[in-house]
Amino acid sequence: MTLILQAVINGLMTGTLIAVPAIGFSAIFAVLRYPNFAIASYATIGAFAAWWANAILGLPVIPAIAIAFLITGCIGVGAEETALKRLRGNGALIVAIASIALNLVLENIVRFIFGNDMKGYDLPLLRDIRFGDLRIGPQQLQSLALAVVIMAVMFLFLRYTRFGKAMRAVADNPDLARLKGIDPARIAIVTVFLGAGLAGVGGVLIGLDTSIDPLTGYRVLLSVFAAAVLGGLGSIPGAVVGALALGIAEELALIVVPATYRTAVGFVAILIMLTFRPRGILGERAA
Amino acid sequence: MSADPAQLLTVDGVTAGYGASEEILKGTSLRVAPGEIVSIIGPNGAGKSTLLKTIAGLVQARKGSIVIGGTDVTTEGALGRARHGIGFVPQERNVFGAMSVADNLEISGFQDPTQVKRRAEELYERYPMLAQKRGALARTLSGGQRQILAMAMGLMNAPSLLLLDEPTAGLSPRAAEELFEAIVALNRGGLPILMVEQHALEALEISTRGYVLVAGRNSREGPGPALATDPEIRRLFLGG
Ligand SMILES: Nc1ncnc2c1ncn2[C@@H]1O[C@H](COP(=O)(O)OP(=O)(O)O)[C@@H](O)[C@H]1O
Ligand SMILES: [Mg+2]
Repeated sequence: MTLILQAVINGLMTGTLIAVPAIGFSAIFAVLRYPNFAIASYATIGAFAAWWANAILGLPVIPAIAIAFLITGCIGVGAEETALKRLRGNGALIVAIASIALNLVLENIVRFIFGNDMKGYDLPLLRDIRFGDLRIGPQQLQSLALAVVIMAVMFLFLRYTRFGKAMRAVADNPDLARLKGIDPARIAIVTVFLGAGLAGVGGVLIGLDTSIDPLTGYRVLLSVFAAAVLGGLGSIPGAVVGALALGIAEELALIVVPATYRTAVGFVAILIMLTFRPRGILGERAA
Repeated sequence: MSADPAQLLTVDGVTAGYGASEEILKGTSLRVAPGEIVSIIGPNGAGKSTLLKTIAGLVQARKGSIVIGGTDVTTEGALGRARHGIGFVPQERNVFGAMSVADNLEISGFQDPTQVKRRAEELYERYPMLAQKRGALARTLSGGQRQILAMAMGLMNAPSLLLLDEPTAGLSPRAAEELFEAIVALNRGGLPILMVEQHALEALEISTRGYVLVAGRNSREGPGPALATDPEIRRLFLGG
């Protein structure tokens, strides 16, 4: 029983962290209509940007996360405008493939600048909090709280601000948005900035718990993608639900299968979902 | 094409179509003067919706010209046309279904955020149903309510010409009549309207002028009431 409860708790923790880049991925998909796999490198860049701010410049975690958000947001927009944008007319598949190539390029730039070594954030060492037999790390708890706050801000942005509503309008019907004077190209830039920024923050949150290296983002890419598919591609609440469901499923599966099969859970989840409910848990339209 | 200052909209010899397929509009012309209601009628597939989309900039004209208020906008897209005062209410998918009525109005006034509150309040006053439903998601509205919302959205940018594509499609006769009344009321307030209607005779009766479009070409044109009583038109549109 404790084993299962601990797995559910761990699953909710990792799920919440995965949800942050998954929201970024889904937002970009909703507005630009292609899966941007370069978010793996955005997550890595975010993780390294925050590491630089934290371990080299000596800033505390929260300003470091803000810096990571801004830097990855800008890099995301730069990459979109210089590389991916011109391919958008050729269909989602072409842009998706280009985003994989872009991911390799950006990942290797990180490798070139920072090297292959693992790096850790400069954090105070704290003991796990115990509730009976259940254990939770204070750092995990802080990351969890940060992820929840970031998601809440994103939801409020989408729901109550002019630009947030315009993003939803473009995602729903770009032609109608244009007729209303909303420029989808402008909204796309805002969306890529937010999406890449969130991926960057996700990379930091994931790295805070362990350590970072040039493959930090790549390692979670499948989970991020699976979470977005599970929730319904392009649905932002769906990305959160999908990430939590996937996190729990992964941890529960680890009770019965060896840890090396962890990523298989993501594959199986995508497979089952696409077979039986291609629109995802909360998806409203077929992708 | 020289711009005629007496006209609000001049469409001259426009050809247009979708993608690489052949032309749907094969040299269509029309004009709208200030204060008019102009109706376009014609059989299904004649290209009426395509014509409105081309005027609104969602479909690009391949030949011919489109002049709005003296400015040639032929090469501009939908955003530019909206800035030039074109308000277009499409036939289908004309509201953002997952957003509330209030958000639909707000987002439709995106061009000028300082005016959004005032214009929305005016529209709530004009259409009390919208005020009652302001928190409801647009996709939960009835057909008639949705058309009123779509039209109100078209007014949020304070257009100088409103294009309506089959505003009464799918409505009950009562709801259709109410919508026609709403259109006439808007026009009395000084707003020129160009509309496509399946209820051809009813539409012609309230129109200053009408055009009959057949297979992408102008067929007949004339004052609305005169077209409505024309035997040939009656035969075409009263089932024959
Ligand atoms: N989005 C589109 N893509 C390709 N063909 C279209 C599209 N919309 C309409 N058509 C075609 O254009 C022709 C005219 O359609 P439309 O302008 O909607 O006619 P109407 O509104 O007069 O019924 C039809 O043959 C239709 O199949
Ligand atoms: Mg039509």
